[in-house]
Amino acid sequence: MGEVILTMKDIDKSFPGVHALDHVSFEVQKGEVHALMGENGAGKSTLMKVLTGIYTKDSGSIIFEGKEVEFHNAREAQDAGVVIVHQELNMLGHLTVAQNIFIGREFKKGIKIDDKKMNEEAKKLFDKLNIDIDPTETMSNLTVGKQQMCEIAKAISHDAKVIVFDEPSAALTEAEIQELFKIINDLRKQNLGIVYISHRMDEIKVITDRVTVMRDGTYVGTLITKDCTKDDIINMMVGRVIYEDPKSKSMVAPDAPVVLKVEHLNAGKMVQDVSFELRKGEILGFSGLMGAGRTETARAIFGADPKQSGKIYVNGKEVTINSPEDAVKCGIGYLSEDRKRYGIVVQKTVAENSTMAFLENFVKGLFIDKKAEKDIAQKYVDSLATKTPSVDQLVVNLSGGNQQKVVIAKWLVRDCDILIFDEPTRGIDVGAKNEIYKLMNKLAEEGKSIIMISSEMTEILRMSDRIVVMCEGKKTGEIGIEEAKQETIMNMATREIK
Amino acid sequence: MEKIKQNPLVKKVGFNRVVLCCVLILMYVLFCIASPNFVGLPRILSALNYAYFLGFLSLGVTFVIATGGIDFSIGPVMFCSALVSGYCLTSYGMPVGVSLIISIAVGLLFGIFNGYLVAYWSVPPFIVSMASMNIAKGVASVFTKTQSVSWPQGASDQGWFRKLVKIGNIPVGLFIFIAVAIICAMILNKTKAGRYILSLGSNKEAVRLSGVDVKKWEMLAYVICGILVGIAAIFFVGAYTTVQPGYGDQYNNEAIAGCVMGGTSMAGGLASIAGTVIGVFIIALLQEGILALGFTKDYQLIITGIIVIVAVYADVVARRRKN
Repeated sequence: MGEVILTMKDIDKSFPGVHALDHVSFEVQKGEVHALMGENGAGKSTLMKVLTGIYTKDSGSIIFEGKEVEFHNAREAQDAGVVIVHQELNMLGHLTVAQNIFIGREFKKGIKIDDKKMNEEAKKLFDKLNIDIDPTETMSNLTVGKQQMCEIAKAISHDAKVIVFDEPSAALTEAEIQELFKIINDLRKQNLGIVYISHRMDEIKVITDRVTVMRDGTYVGTLITKDCTKDDIINMMVGRVIYEDPKSKSMVAPDAPVVLKVEHLNAGKMVQDVSFELRKGEILGFSGLMGAGRTETARAIFGADPKQSGKIYVNGKEVTINSPEDAVKCGIGYLSEDRKRYGIVVQKTVAENSTMAFLENFVKGLFIDKKAEKDIAQKYVDSLATKTPSVDQLVVNLSGGNQQKVVIAKWLVRDCDILIFDEPTRGIDVGAKNEIYKLMNKLAEEGKSIIMISSEMTEILRMSDRIVVMCEGKKTGEIGIEEAKQETIMNMATREIK
Repeated sequence: MEKIKQNPLVKKVGFNRVVLCCVLILMYVLFCIASPNFVGLPRILSALNYAYFLGFLSLGVTFVIATGGIDFSIGPVMFCSALVSGYCLTSYGMPVGVSLIISIAVGLLFGIFNGYLVAYWSVPPFIVSMASMNIAKGVASVFTKTQSVSWPQGASDQGWFRKLVKIGNIPVGLFIFIAVAIICAMILNKTKAGRYILSLGSNKEAVRLSGVDVKKWEMLAYVICGILVGIAAIFFVGAYTTVQPGYGDQYNNEAIAGCVMGGTSMAGGLASIAGTVIGVFIIALLQEGILALGFTKDYQLIITGIIVIVAVYADVVARRRKN
């Protein structure tokens, strides 16, 4: 470890309604691997986006190689030597490895692209990194791991001095991760500063020198990796003051019947052998980190995505769900995390959206009974306290919280008994959040059963009667609210699966 | 201007439609001033002849565009319908009534074909309709052995179908066209089918996740379009008698222009049948006016081409402003 190469001091950044970074400080030394950790939404990615110029900071300073800098876009940061290797790879599958590495700055011979020279340069890069990849290979033929190596090589080729790895291991196999670590160790020896963002506790212990933990947009602290334990880090990650009291006990009657039973559900890589039960009047929280497979599980149950195997029972009877149409017929409603894309039709009115799932009930003869439609929409506008001038208002003009209520109304009109809320309060301000919580509690009291997917620990603890935890497509734990603690849940959510 | 926009009547009809009506009237006045022989019933009847078949095409494609799709096969399919049914009539001696049904059936088949490929196989509508445009031309040529087909004159025993277009100077076709347009408007605005067609044009995934069989409704839009194209063929031969294989493309542009000018968004989700009707009258009047002013048909191609671009651009600008 040596001198400091990059310092971020008092970085502050707000988005409308969210204080994303609250005077965060962070530094990287030459020849160190510095882990940046925190729950979803803690502000890690925002901090890195501020660093690389994708976001503009509101205040604070960035000092790079002794000079204060301000990058205006990723390109400027790259040219200065600050490079980010993204979780999602930005590769063009149909081009060769070398063409990808040198995209935007191709070597030229006259007006022709000099592929030969690019291949040679790429080869040199790979040799330097001890990577065995053929520069002339087409990118899409490589495994994800190899593609990642190319991404790293591309970063190095920019003469990088600081490299940020954003969850690099998420898509890699065990062997590929070992290879990645070898490369990172090499880079460390070459005196580069490395930022390593990951959720995997065990990796942090293996590869990093220091750990900085963030929580809710604030800096919590920095530890020397070898002097701390996994529990220390977890405590720092979750040790926030909880404003809302967690639910103290389950509100579900002990003899409440099981309304939904899922057995050995498999759907792609993200849903592996998931089984659980949902009881009448229960709010079942689905906790886990981003990409744990919770949304995929919900979509598979709802028939939005195909599933490979598994059985679903509704009210004790096995059902076949191959499309959302089937699911809705079984009384299952799904409220997507992305309302604009999957929840509402913005060019339609509140009334028209409210009856979207059950229009056949509002058809009289050949035509839609618009009066009945408006009446039922008005009924739910009143009972859900949706703020809208009238039911004829286009939903596009409503706020996020009110749009969410229109989606809820849609499923209530259909009289669905099983509701899957996927991140029900994402992008909704605090006041509206509380309303949605109250509403969900009321629905549960009325006998609806709710699956609530949430990445917010406080939300999970406040709302759930029981909690299912997922990690990397598998169910890694199930716990009643009485025993649930943040630490236990976080442990389950980061459990390494062998 | 704002005052006019806020007028309750204007609000109900739609500002865009009011403007279009003014354009239509203004155009007619200008043509009358520029060319004295434009005044009088014959020109209007001639323009109406053009408006009928184009109108049915335009109504049809309005449903498709409402889903966010496009159909470039309508013109050639209309010709294919007219040729196949006309050949059945003239060469196989089928009764006129049966031939008319065949005409609609051919349009329907193409509608089913296009709709199925777009909705169930997810082939892009642009490609599907380009391909079926060529298929329609090919089928028509093969079926008629590359002969043009002339439908019977009004005076003959078999000429009764022309009464669908006009009886003496009474424009029967206009009444039928308006009636069909009203039915289309009711389908689009008052039925479940119309609601789903417009909604899926706006946000297909959201509609699918509401448990709606979106494929079925998307296909239905193409099927409705196909039926209307078959009807268009009847009004084409009712007005113009002779059909030649290998043509029909030019009407695609004109029909789409009429539809988009009337306020139907190429992005899908927004459609106006009343707008389409006025748009079609404008195109038909324009074509008549250009000929009356002594220009050739080629100028009309240029002008409708420009109209499509301007109308679509206006739609793009309007949407950008909304966002």
